[in-house]
Amino acid sequence: MDLGPVVAHTLANGLRVRVLPDRLVPAVSYYTFFGVGSRNERPGITGISHLFEHMMFNGSERYGPKEFDRVLEAHGGASNAYTSNDVTAYHDDFATDALPVVIDLESDRMRALRITVEALDQERSVVMEERRLRTENSHFGLLEEQLESLVFQAHPYRWPVIGWMDDIARIGREDCLDFFRTYYAPGNASIYVCGDVEPDDLLRRIEAAYGPIPAGPPVPAPIGGEPPQRGERRASIRHPAHASAMLAGFRAPAAREPDTAVLDVLQTCLASGEGSRLRRSLVQEQEVAVSVGVGFTWRADPGVFLLSMELAPGASQRKAEGALWAEIDRVASRGVAERELGRARALLRSSTLHEFSTRSGVAHALGQAEALLGDWREAGRSLERYQAVTREDVRRAAREWLAPSHRNVVWLDPEDVS
Amino acid sequence: MSGVVLPEMREARLGNGLRVVVARRPGVPLAAARLAVRAGSALDPQGAFGLAHLVAISARRGAGRRSGRAIDDLVESLGANLAGGAEEDASVHGLSAPVEVLPRLLEVLAAVVARPTFPVAEFERLRRSERAELAHDADEASTVADRALLEAVYAGHPYGHPVEGRGQDLGKIRRRDAEAFHGRWFGPGAALLVVSGPVDPGATVEEAERRLGAWKPAPAKPAEIPSATRRPRSVVIVDKPDASQVQIRIAGVAIPRRSPDYFPALVGNTVLGGGFTSRLVEAIRVNRGLTYGVRSRFAVGRCTGIFSISSFTKNETAGELIEVALEEMARFATSGPTGEEISRGASYLAGLFPLSLETHDQWADRIADAWIYGYEVDEVRGYQERIRAVTPEQAQAATARHLPIEDGVVLAVGPAGPLEQQLSRFGPVEVWPVRRVM
Repeated sequence: MDLGPVVAHTLANGLRVRVLPDRLVPAVSYYTFFGVGSRNERPGITGISHLFEHMMFNGSERYGPKEFDRVLEAHGGASNAYTSNDVTAYHDDFATDALPVVIDLESDRMRALRITVEALDQERSVVMEERRLRTENSHFGLLEEQLESLVFQAHPYRWPVIGWMDDIARIGREDCLDFFRTYYAPGNASIYVCGDVEPDDLLRRIEAAYGPIPAGPPVPAPIGGEPPQRGERRASIRHPAHASAMLAGFRAPAAREPDTAVLDVLQTCLASGEGSRLRRSLVQEQEVAVSVGVGFTWRADPGVFLLSMELAPGASQRKAEGALWAEIDRVASRGVAERELGRARALLRSSTLHEFSTRSGVAHALGQAEALLGDWREAGRSLERYQAVTREDVRRAAREWLAPSHRNVVWLDPEDVS
Repeated sequence: MSGVVLPEMREARLGNGLRVVVARRPGVPLAAARLAVRAGSALDPQGAFGLAHLVAISARRGAGRRSGRAIDDLVESLGANLAGGAEEDASVHGLSAPVEVLPRLLEVLAAVVARPTFPVAEFERLRRSERAELAHDADEASTVADRALLEAVYAGHPYGHPVEGRGQDLGKIRRRDAEAFHGRWFGPGAALLVVSGPVDPGATVEEAERRLGAWKPAPAKPAEIPSATRRPRSVVIVDKPDASQVQIRIAGVAIPRRSPDYFPALVGNTVLGGGFTSRLVEAIRVNRGLTYGVRSRFAVGRCTGIFSISSFTKNETAGELIEVALEEMARFATSGPTGEEISRGASYLAGLFPLSLETHDQWADRIADAWIYGYEVDEVRGYQERIRAVTPEQAQAATARHLPIEDGVVLAVGPAGPLEQQLSRFGPVEVWPVRRVM
């Protein structure tokens, strides 16, 4: 992937800016990453990173409440944001002409956000509805929340990004002010722009708008110290349901460790596409599951490698789980064939090309790489990393990371729906 | 501001009537192809809802001389993705592949659409798994709401059932039904092949001729579906006793894609509930904190369409949310949008439009859509101007005509007991069990 034309610059206050001009379409994608997520929280205010993300749209010094999106839309743009375990990212897509306005909006809220009790209370109830939607009324939401608290005992990954309901209710204005001062200063932020821009002009504008913002304090190190797992852990969720489902997880390497590329290859062999091992065996041949999936998202600290299954109504949990572990054992003991490795590399190459086919995809990939791997250039190196993975790597990684004693398993036990 | 530039387009019609469109454009070394046939779920026979969908997904499980497994191995070993699906007006098989392997995979795409073999074992397995997946869908309140909405709004119309069908019908459909559906409707005269990406247009048309030139015409012409009629207000509660949050829809029959109201209604709806600063977001999320998300949209088909507001809130505030949404619709219809709102809505739609046509897949989809829904692809060039030309009066009139302020359906998925009390003020209430729509 050619990232040669990327222009990288760091302001005196620590704000990092990376720009990739692409003038084919008269539009721009603009990301602001802050190095904070649920990993930086503590019990009692879990979910503050996410709740705070909502507060960023409620007014700053020169733009009143409700103004941010109004001004952006009036200039041909739209915004969005997400909070993960590790980062909070703000994203604006807009027509070329809106660039000065976007820089003004974004720098104003980084410099002087307004945090009122009224806005906080309103966003709190919005976030509670979001939690009811994604967790309390969603089977996989319930399973995932339970699973992460099995996989992690000490690390902040053990609580959900959206936070516990009581904490969402408890977080106060002072917590938010403190959070803003600590984590939202330029020294903990970076900007990624891809699209119809002229880099020198953009950097001049960014320097003028963001340059005067003070660097901010050093960011405290997150709590770590997760003890090793010494045996399988299980839990169940009893909930009204028409059919059962399972989520299992294993602690996985942190993004910077070389085995992440190997686990990407492994997950592709296991569950990407109709010809993947788990889909073929569990869904097509044995029909013990209706669907099967693997989720491995790179994280700043050691994360989790997820396996999921949905069962047909009345199907046997024991049989389905046995079939799943038999497939994992097979990879761990015998590895994958050369043709499976080639297939995984080809699919991963296409998926990377898809990611790089939009301005938003490119800007986000640069931000993700810098946040998790420490260097935006890594975004262009993923194909080399996949190319270097060998069959032996896949077998060893499956044996090490997916060992039976490291399993965490949560089953949905259906209660009668009537 | 500059607009969208059309790719270099090459159009051809093969001897058997198949239309081929190749859009050559720069970008990542991938190519996108769509082979669309004007036969979708609106043609599902009574008692066989889900047939078009089963035909679409099972075609991939055996075609020409290849088994489903052989197709999986070939496609995926080349880093490609091939998938088929039905919508109301068409069945579309899509291919996304590294550009260098496109010719090889066009052959597979052609076989899947023109010569599926529907192997018995694969067909039966898919039928079982589709039914089992409905059990999981039944636990997703938003999916239940969307399925119930079609039945409630379109009652009796060919669009009035979910594309994925019903469990009962899926239980009765046989392989020979799939073969008969395919034999009757699938032919080159009712089909379009689109290829988009950094490809050679001449060579791609030749490849299409080689792979699809011998495809025999189907006996039936694509059927035109009648328009649907608006119905008096009804309230439908789908009973989900365990839910702590209610999924809400307010909807009615609206316009097809070809309607002259389409552009002014698109802009009007952006003001009402389309964008993130819409009146509905402001009233329901920002001012009252009742929900995380609320939006309205015109979903447009070939012959008709649906206007809907979608949201969710905790059980206790379902009635309040519906009340506010109905008030906002009525206010929009009587006093209309302001000039500032229309200008903001138009800037939003026009400014972001180029980003909806960034990828080869987006172009292939747009070209196939234009053909399925009956508009010109060339529309994209004047799209931003048409959006900006809409006046507040045009937006008000074109939108208001189709809002279900007094009629249409108010639908809620949640615990029927408490909901019935809150919702009876909006119209006569019917309570449905979840299984009715699964």
